[in-house]
Amino acid sequence: MSFASLLDIELKKIRRSKIFMLLFVAVVILWLPAILNTNYSFETDAAIGIASEYNFLVQGFLALAWFMYPASMVVSTVLLKQLERTNKGMLKMLALPISSAKLCLTKFFILLLLAGLQLLLNFGVYYAGAALVSQRFAYNFLLPPLFVLKETGLLFLAAIPMLAFFWLLAVTIQTPIFSIGVGLASIVPSILMINTKYWLFYPMSYPFYLMTAEYCKLAANLGSAEMPLIPWLPIAIGITVSCLILACLRFGQAERNC
Amino acid sequence: MSLGLEWQKIKRTGVLWTFLGGGILAAVVPVINLAARSEMYLRLQDSPVDILFKGNWQLMALLNILLLVLGACVLYHIEYADNGQLKMCSLPIKESTLFFSKLGLMTGLCLVSLSLEALGMAFCLSHWFNLSQSLCLELLKYFAYAFLLLLPGGMLALILSAFCKNLWVSLGCGVIGVCAAILIPTDNFILNLFPFALPFQVLTLNTEQAVCYLLASLGEVAFMALMFLGLLKIRRTLA
Amino acid sequence: MYIIETKNLTKSYKDQVAVSNLNLHIPRGKVYGFLGPNGAGKSTTMKMFLGLTKPTNGSFAINGKKYPENRIEILKEVGSLIEAPAFYGNLTGEENLDILRKILGLPKTAVDEALELCGLTPYKKRLAKKYSLGMKQRLGLAGALLGKPPILILDEPTNGLDPLGIHEIRTLIRSLPQQFDCTVLVSSHLLSEIELMADYVGILNHGKLLFEGTLTELRQEARAEGYPTDNLEDTFLAMIAADNGQRGRGR
Repeated sequence: MSFASLLDIELKKIRRSKIFMLLFVAVVILWLPAILNTNYSFETDAAIGIASEYNFLVQGFLALAWFMYPASMVVSTVLLKQLERTNKGMLKMLALPISSAKLCLTKFFILLLLAGLQLLLNFGVYYAGAALVSQRFAYNFLLPPLFVLKETGLLFLAAIPMLAFFWLLAVTIQTPIFSIGVGLASIVPSILMINTKYWLFYPMSYPFYLMTAEYCKLAANLGSAEMPLIPWLPIAIGITVSCLILACLRFGQAERNC
Repeated sequence: MSLGLEWQKIKRTGVLWTFLGGGILAAVVPVINLAARSEMYLRLQDSPVDILFKGNWQLMALLNILLLVLGACVLYHIEYADNGQLKMCSLPIKESTLFFSKLGLMTGLCLVSLSLEALGMAFCLSHWFNLSQSLCLELLKYFAYAFLLLLPGGMLALILSAFCKNLWVSLGCGVIGVCAAILIPTDNFILNLFPFALPFQVLTLNTEQAVCYLLASLGEVAFMALMFLGLLKIRRTLA
Repeated sequence: MYIIETKNLTKSYKDQVAVSNLNLHIPRGKVYGFLGPNGAGKSTTMKMFLGLTKPTNGSFAINGKKYPENRIEILKEVGSLIEAPAFYGNLTGEENLDILRKILGLPKTAVDEALELCGLTPYKKRLAKKYSLGMKQRLGLAGALLGKPPILILDEPTNGLDPLGIHEIRTLIRSLPQQFDCTVLVSSHLLSEIELMADYVGILNHGKLLFEGTLTELRQEARAEGYPTDNLEDTFLAMIAADNGQRGRGR
């Protein structure tokens, strides 16, 4: 069976799952405080040395990158796992002439699609929010789409190792409370990890570190923080590949052992 | 009796271990924080308990509320997974009894994790400050306050789980609620009354505000209990 | 005289009527076979009896108690197995029944008795999620039989059982009114089983009751209408076909 057909099947499975609504509501809730906050401070922005429109974008993306985005992806892994668990769908899939590694990778691809979808929704909600705030403060908060798309794209790429790790947790840990618990608990320390040199080995901190680095680039008085391609890129690729290989090896093992 | 039944139902689900593990993780936060930045904290003039809470409670509260959301989701996932809920509905037991028993169990588990966190803080007090009886009592007061402020969030998470058959929907709603709570400015009293935002409040010297939050917490619990009973009636009517 | 009586019981959804003006009379101490094709409304009727679905219209009384005022009292007297067996997969068979026993306020011996009745004693320590389909069905049945309730509502209790298991459960159900002085409402697709089990039958089609009475009365009516009477299956199929034909002409 081709990857495209398998992808089509997996996409059909998430129909009527309400995941789109959850991802959309999440980004609306994320931008609401920024839009409603009446005490918008242009002076603070000047002190930091960042233009207000850039600060509006970065603050939203920082909140997204630290908690909302990783937590939404943990919820998405729960969706993908539970859809197969209820009514023993997984047993049926394993009894069909499909490579379990291919199935595993297809499901991971669905996770990537959901991650991309949330970022696209974020892109849309950002522009709606920026337009509203621009009208309110008579100041143009709307940034060029290419710039926002670039930030969105970088965030997506930086999150891939984290998604691979979450997928590995979902595949290997059969008890739902443990896989969700470890996933959610792993998000919380990322705010501390980015201040240590060990952030390179902690994929959950990658999106937040990236946004912090972008923030420092855009603000004149915040010091500097770089996302060094070397050694970050080989470590990130290594983590992603290892997690996916382990996930493919472990995929369906629990159901086969029953 | 119902509480005993709910305790029996969580066998082999990992709920107890998760609350224990979550409690230990949260207990370790102040220990690591103080170990890394003891000089900075020891220079501060406030009461040691106040210093510990101001420096660590935001992270600990986040772990606590996530634990409650997760616990609530799994407590009802147990019912929906193999149709246990259907069997419960055909027995001479009220759905509201089921809910309040689960709430009681979750409250008990929450107390367990908070006790572990209190032990963590007590260790910090004894290691870096001078642990005295008065400090212990103060610590107990802070944790009692924290526990009462956690109740509305736990209840809301359980209500969401009771009405969402799918685990990812109740979890997603809980996660969105927690995220909303994180984004609320700390100086906004009204917005901080949101059940998932209350746990982030620390017992302060401003006793009037502390009492307001406490009364709001108890009021929210009572209101949500009535709201749940009302929603149950509506669900039964629509069934 | 009648332990379960319904009066114009109706359940309708947005786009269909599942049960229409049903007037059932289930005699005390008998086995009542509830027959009908898929989607006839049997499970819906049983769910209404248990309060799992609210009737749109009409009323019913179980052992003199009316729903919804006496819902809890009704459930104290009814053991049920509805749709697929319902259980907690993380608990053993014994633990699952123990939970039910505590809710019903029964002694500890009730669990062992129920397990023994359904042939699950050798598997009582196994996790319910590891049970075979037949074992899950037996567990559901054991849950219904716990405490020997005066009324049993069983929705296709022999689903998933092997021929030996079907024979065992059939013999058990047949003996329940005499052994435990109870009334059994049982639905099934296995007409041969109903023929061997039931004292009375009710035939449902598209939510309407086509026939209610003893098997002898059914044969007499079928003979009068010109339907085959050699076996219950032929009679049943003929009645359903005639009713479907009438519905088609009615449109």
